[in-house]
Amino acid sequence: DQAASTVGTPVVDLFGLCSEGKVKEAIEQMDQGVLADAECFSLLFQACGNSKKCEEAKKVHDYFLRSVHRGDLELTNKVLDMYSKCGSMTDARRVFDHMVDRNMDSWHLMINGYAVNGLGDDGLALFEQMKTTGLTPNGETFLTVLEACANADAIEEGFVYFDSMKTNYGISPGIEHYVGLLGVLGKSGHLAEAQGYIESLPFEPTAVFWEALMNYARIHGDIELEDHAEELLVSLDPSKAVKNKIPTPPPKKHSRLNMLVGRNRILEFRNPTFYKDEEKIMAANKPQAYVPDTRYVLHDIDQEAKEQALLYHSERLAIAYGLISTPARQTLRIIKNLRVCGDCHNAIKIMSRVVGRELIVRDNKRFHHFKDGKCSCNDYW
Amino acid sequence: SFATPEEAAAERRKRKRRLRIEPPLSALRHQQQHQQPRPAPAPQNPTAPKLPESASALSGTRLNLHNNILKLIRENDLEEAALFTRHSVYSNCRPTIHTCNAVMSAQLRQGKFAELLTLHRFITQAGIAANVVTYNILLTLYVDCRKLDLALEQYRQLVNDAPFNPSPTTYRILIKGLVDNQQVEKAIEIKNEMETKGFKPDPTIYSYLMVGQVKNSNADSVFELYEELKQKLGADEILDGVIYGNLMKGYFLKGMEAEAMEVYSKVLGEDSTMKMNAVSYNYVLEALSKNGKFDEALKLFERMKNEHDHPRKLCVNLGSYIVIADGYCAEKRFDEAVEVFNSMGEKRCNPDTLSYNVLIDHLCSNNKLAEAEELYNGMADKNVNPDEYTFVTLMDTCLKENRLDAAAHYFGTMVQLKRRPNLAVYNRLVEALVKAGEVDEAKSFFDLMVPKLRMNEDAYKFIMNALSGIGKHDEVVKIVDGILREDPGDFTEELEEFVRELLRKEGMEDEVTNLKLQLEKEKADAAAKAAEEAEEAKASTSIAMADLLSSKSFGKKPDVEELSAEGKEEDSVSTASEVENVMSKDAAEK
Amino acid sequence: AILQFNRMRTSEVEPNHITFITLLSGCAHHPSQGSSLGPSIHGYARKIRLDVANVKVGTALIDMYSKIGEIGSARLIFDHMGARNKVSWNTMINGYMRNGRFGDAVKLFDKMPERDAVSWTVLIDGFVKKGKFEEALGWFQEMQLAGADPDFVTIVSVLSAVANIGTLGLGLWLHRFVSKREFRDNIRVHNSLIDMYCRCGCVEFARQVFDTMPEQSLVSWNSIIVGLACNAYAEEALRYFHLMQKSGFDLDGVSFTGALTACSHTGLVEEGLKLFAAMTRVHKIKPRIEHYGCIVDLYSRAGRLRDAMRVVEGMPMKPNEVVFGSLLAACRASGDVDLAETVMDYIRETDPDGHFNYVLLSNIYAATGSWGGAGKVRRKMKDHGLQKQPGVSLIEINCAIHEFVAGDRSHFDSENIHKMLQLLSHEIRYEPELLEDFH
Repeated sequence: DQAASTVGTPVVDLFGLCSEGKVKEAIEQMDQGVLADAECFSLLFQACGNSKKCEEAKKVHDYFLRSVHRGDLELTNKVLDMYSKCGSMTDARRVFDHMVDRNMDSWHLMINGYAVNGLGDDGLALFEQMKTTGLTPNGETFLTVLEACANADAIEEGFVYFDSMKTNYGISPGIEHYVGLLGVLGKSGHLAEAQGYIESLPFEPTAVFWEALMNYARIHGDIELEDHAEELLVSLDPSKAVKNKIPTPPPKKHSRLNMLVGRNRILEFRNPTFYKDEEKIMAANKPQAYVPDTRYVLHDIDQEAKEQALLYHSERLAIAYGLISTPARQTLRIIKNLRVCGDCHNAIKIMSRVVGRELIVRDNKRFHHFKDGKCSCNDYW
Repeated sequence: SFATPEEAAAERRKRKRRLRIEPPLSALRHQQQHQQPRPAPAPQNPTAPKLPESASALSGTRLNLHNNILKLIRENDLEEAALFTRHSVYSNCRPTIHTCNAVMSAQLRQGKFAELLTLHRFITQAGIAANVVTYNILLTLYVDCRKLDLALEQYRQLVNDAPFNPSPTTYRILIKGLVDNQQVEKAIEIKNEMETKGFKPDPTIYSYLMVGQVKNSNADSVFELYEELKQKLGADEILDGVIYGNLMKGYFLKGMEAEAMEVYSKVLGEDSTMKMNAVSYNYVLEALSKNGKFDEALKLFERMKNEHDHPRKLCVNLGSYIVIADGYCAEKRFDEAVEVFNSMGEKRCNPDTLSYNVLIDHLCSNNKLAEAEELYNGMADKNVNPDEYTFVTLMDTCLKENRLDAAAHYFGTMVQLKRRPNLAVYNRLVEALVKAGEVDEAKSFFDLMVPKLRMNEDAYKFIMNALSGIGKHDEVVKIVDGILREDPGDFTEELEEFVRELLRKEGMEDEVTNLKLQLEKEKADAAAKAAEEAEEAKASTSIAMADLLSSKSFGKKPDVEELSAEGKEEDSVSTASEVENVMSKDAAEK
Repeated sequence: AILQFNRMRTSEVEPNHITFITLLSGCAHHPSQGSSLGPSIHGYARKIRLDVANVKVGTALIDMYSKIGEIGSARLIFDHMGARNKVSWNTMINGYMRNGRFGDAVKLFDKMPERDAVSWTVLIDGFVKKGKFEEALGWFQEMQLAGADPDFVTIVSVLSAVANIGTLGLGLWLHRFVSKREFRDNIRVHNSLIDMYCRCGCVEFARQVFDTMPEQSLVSWNSIIVGLACNAYAEEALRYFHLMQKSGFDLDGVSFTGALTACSHTGLVEEGLKLFAAMTRVHKIKPRIEHYGCIVDLYSRAGRLRDAMRVVEGMPMKPNEVVFGSLLAACRASGDVDLAETVMDYIRETDPDGHFNYVLLSNIYAATGSWGGAGKVRRKMKDHGLQKQPGVSLIEINCAIHEFVAGDRSHFDSENIHKMLQLLSHEIRYEPELLEDFH
């Protein structure tokens, strides 16, 4: 009503844009002088967090700071959440540091934000700071702390914090805390330890644990543990069964068991064995390597400087930029105003094999289609 | 372990600080302007340690990539998985260390060691920082390949340079590897080092060390390890059952059968609270089976099978079946051995090549060739590939029993399946064939192997001698011809003298000289022919061109631009007129 | 026509506006004669005040003056015209574009009361013709924003710009755009598409366009043959060359350029020479310099430098840079410094300004380790005030062109580019070690 009276535009418009998540349009409206109310800001913060667009987030935050709602604790907490979802903990921290009063949520959002952005150490540091302010951590605090530990490879600390929960604060851990501690092991790649941890739980592990372990095994690529955890998960919760799952290929070797004798003798039958055909195949398949041909550098400078000069020829810069800007194996097309120098031709040929892409270079004379270490011009150019 | 979070954090941060990453605690001291810690600029040396990415890096397109690679791994297309990982480094979606680890761990699982090392070298160069999983994979590889020096070096690098701590698994891998390679002393040293680093004593690691001491028949050390662990855990009783099988073996070694069995009844008695899994059971099973308590072992085995409840409780594995099959063999009860071995599918255990080899070996060395062959024939059904060891065991036994055809058949199959028998194996077969008068058959194996296997002088001499013995001197000459063409380096002076001597008796000693001369002539002829052809081609076109150019049938200089521009030029000329046409049409309409 | 006009004048028949338009367009098409005749016709038209009164005559005058390069006079006429229509505006803009006065053209364009597709096209095409491809594409974008509907001439111009900078992304967009228009079957649009795809190195698409065309023209055939040849699809190029003959088309010089280029790409010396002979003897096509260029290239690649030199000496016209380039490149490949020097002497006689060849010669010296020689050439270049043209490479990412020169650090992503380059340069030099122990 205040906005409506000053500008003469109905607030409903802006609210509509906000609830549809049309941040860009909403900002345009605000640029026009339309004022947002608390609900609009709340919706906008959420939308910016979900779309992870930091620039828009900053603009919305600017308008928020200029609004009458800037002192609102709940809304400011939402700003923290928005920035942490956008991956900008620096901005979140700036807001946090300037907050006049903070509640538990503020601290939780910050610690958790650091954790999910891979800055677990900062999260833990903030927790230590929180304790000095006289606030008493609660169960939720410890969940964020465990999350921070998981993202900082802080395994020992995770266990110490877990223990301190009960001993120092009298909080008895719930299932979610046990799962959190499993995450501390699982996320940092301590898979065997994680499995051991589940097996040593003071209660019968539920499906949640096996599902978490399965996911950690997937992250770290332990196919056997993944399958095992999945089997256990499905046995507890058949609804989790995956249809049409590709069966796991059998391993070539069972390294987990060797209570066996006779193992050593295998080598005896293989070595020393010299196989001519394999030597030949290997020699034939040995990929060409590139040797800089500094004759193409005309300045009279020393060898190393010449190699450096070759390295930064314009076509190579263009290729390098093309590589970091496009998906794997996509063809790159480069256009050069002069002829490709012999050294670059040679280098690009081998590059095409190494990077697994077709590289097409059009110079002022003709095209070169480089693929699998060969050029369509057959080295005549 | 650490008493306070501060203490634990201090040790961890000490590692990270080596990378000059500002520890957050110190940042807190000047609170007004908090700066987010930035990773130091990329170090010049690519092998210098960097902070690995955390699991939260695995999101968005990088997560998609990870899942695609996992799919390739499941399809067992490891070559493509590794290649795609490499190619993704050269793209806008760099793989995380987790994706690289997944590929390497699959390569390890499939025994593709060289490929694994190649990929590892590549990601190191590409600056994808290793995490503890990477180190553990690499350690397993070195240990499996018996490169203990490399494994120890890798471990040192982890301890000294990496910005994170080794995991208990790291120590298990390393210590087991050392024990398996008879380096128990070194293994104990590493275990002590582990404990000084704040790790809890690990029963599994103690069990490995006890296995090593048992192998060294050092029962006292077994007991020492047991006592040490008990003391360090500060408990009256160690609840992890993995220790006890080896403790029993210690007692058996000392001839203290009663004490051993007392442990047994304590661990597996009615009211035991011991934590047992397949490995713990197998140690006990082996202790019984190898020490005259095979009946007891069979009983335990039955109990294990009954308790086994896949996937919740795993009490038997391949190892259990092997211990029992081994035990039957030791009792010369071979039929039962084969029977129990073949029954492992019931409990979803799958045999591997190694376990087949052990049993086949047992059978062969006990005159049970027929049973061994039957077992061998069953391998295909179980999808297990026989290796050199399998074939050679069967071949040698056939030779021993004078079944030359069968022996030759095993050798042939082995080569056909691209296995690589060595020269000694080949020699054994060929010698046996020649001895039995089957020189032609022997020659056929020589022909099969000579393009593959690098022969030595004796191998050449042996077959030539055999051939000349049956009057096939022309074959000898052909062999010489082959050597001179394919491996001239093999034709040493001594070998030449030997051949000349062999042929001299037949008045054919000039053959060698002739061969050499002929080869030189062939070479010269080929060179001359190539030169001639080139000359001919040149001449024919030169005439044609000279003809064309001298005819001067062409007019004056046409003024046309460059070659590649031409097509376009015509086009744009017409474009211009097109524009004008449209314009004038436009004009006409007005 | 002039004679006829003079007769008309003497017979005192009053010439009407049609006469003038015809005459003036005659002058415009032959600028050399037109420059003397045009103004006098103007004078005559002036006398009877047709130039101001009649729009079409006025427009024709503007066209005539701009084509003979007297843009100032054209503007004078334009300013004094009593009435102007769109065509007059367009012609005037075209005049500015043709004479490279882009600023004036744009100013006029902005002043235009009403713009149509032709106005836009004139502007875009003008930029393309003067090699300002990016500007052309920029104006095409403006045109889209302004909501003007391009016609096929616009598309042909834009495709030519796309082909020149090789922005395949935009090319694909245009192809989709075209397929929804009524001129989607226009043969010239298709020809431009073929050319564009070929010049973006995307031969497969070019061939698809060609194969699905309702009907092909000589230019279509030539485009696909030359395109395939330049992209080193020599066999395919020759296949289309033969197919073209079978389809009843008469081969022309361009077709042979394509076929000969294909031969020189794959080193088919014999085949190439036979084609050359057939061209002159059977098809009676006068070989042009580019055909000689191909023959020289053929010989050079086969390492037959003396034969190549003989062709150069026997050529009925002055050899150009391309011809010498092939020859010198071959000299470098075979390290034949003597011949290279002979060639250079020859070049100095015929074309003293070819700095390109100096670079090549100094490369040859450097390749054979003759630093003194290389230095001498470099100094000579300096003396002549010649500078090596800097190498520029372009790459298109998401329809945006990125430009690089050697040692460039100006790109916003420079740090990552250099990191990638360092990894790459390490990897391409890496020779895999044998890991036999680990098998």
